[in-house]
Amino acid sequence: MTLRTPTPEEPFIARDATYHKAPPQLRARVQGAVAREGRSRIVHLGQRTLAWGLAFATVAAVSWNLGAMRGRDAAQDIVTHDVLAAHMRAVMATGRLVDVPSTDRHDVKPWFAGRVDFSPPVPDLTARGFILVGGRLDVVDGRTVAAVAYRYRLHIVNVFERPAREGEQAPQLTSRQGYNIVHWSRDGIERWAISDLAAGELATIAE
Amino acid sequence: MTRVTRFEDRVMPHLDAAYNLARWLTRNDDDAQDVVQEAFVRAFRFFDSLRDANARAWVLAIVRNAAYSWMEKNRPAEIVPIEDAGLIDADQESIGHAAPAESNPEVILLQSANRKLVNQSLEELPVALREVLVMRELEDLSYKEIAQIADIPIGTVMSRLSRGRAMLRAAIETRMRKAG
Repeated sequence: MTLRTPTPEEPFIARDATYHKAPPQLRARVQGAVAREGRSRIVHLGQRTLAWGLAFATVAAVSWNLGAMRGRDAAQDIVTHDVLAAHMRAVMATGRLVDVPSTDRHDVKPWFAGRVDFSPPVPDLTARGFILVGGRLDVVDGRTVAAVAYRYRLHIVNVFERPAREGEQAPQLTSRQGYNIVHWSRDGIERWAISDLAAGELATIAE
Repeated sequence: MTRVTRFEDRVMPHLDAAYNLARWLTRNDDDAQDVVQEAFVRAFRFFDSLRDANARAWVLAIVRNAAYSWMEKNRPAEIVPIEDAGLIDADQESIGHAAPAESNPEVILLQSANRKLVNQSLEELPVALREVLVMRELEDLSYKEIAQIADIPIGTVMSRLSRGRAMLRAAIETRMRKAG
């Protein structure tokens, strides 16, 4: 297609279109809403501290009985369970797989801005056979995570992402109920990829 | 300093820019206000992710997201995907920002076009072109900032600006001819 060549007179819009300044009542409205959010955040933080305290007490009690390592395994087990459940829900329910359907990462990546507190990289993996389907939000381990869906031949692959809590972790393969799961951490992002795809093929997503 | 006062310091100064963008995207005062309120609450929630980044571009990206969510829900027909041409020559684009040739008859014609005419024509542009024009021409954001906010490559920002300007000019001329 051809583009019309811009000509020198074009920047006239700035002079002639209206710059809509925020109405005064909007400033008050926004300040009120932010202040309310600030207060509820403090309550939340309090609740969270309490919840963490209880969780810690539970884990401590469990660890006392089973040994610290097994407590940690149990926590990882819960996360794996969440990943499996989220994947199964997404695959079973029609129309639930993605909220932003697109094969273009430039549509999917910005959709997450302001929805999760980090920026999921949403890499283009076409060269490795993973075709982007889109993104959505999901819940793993009680937290909102970014879920990015890919298609590999006829298989659906879900990748769940959240900010890493620990350092780099090399890819680790597990399987649950016939699904393969790869878990790894890199560049500050922790990821789980899950699919009914063969383990060897799924693992290429973490390369 | 509390989180709320830090937010007031860094993000609230961009309320006008936020409203202007939301108003041009939703084309309606009430909806723009709702979008801005929602976006600022979200921005406050994710305030930690701002760090040292450019606060105006950061909050405008959130406002844009909120506005698009609103449009998806209320006016899905308006979100038409834009077929982007390849990269255009950066030099060609820079001509668009040369000093206006005041004596050019077309300029005089366009300068006399009244505000209403320009506003109506700009409102009717496809949203993907309208938003880059608003960010560039009214908000005076750099190509890089626009690319960041809309998450498109800089070359796409340039080609959309160029197409947006051409379409806007054509729309204004059509309106003027109709008006006689």
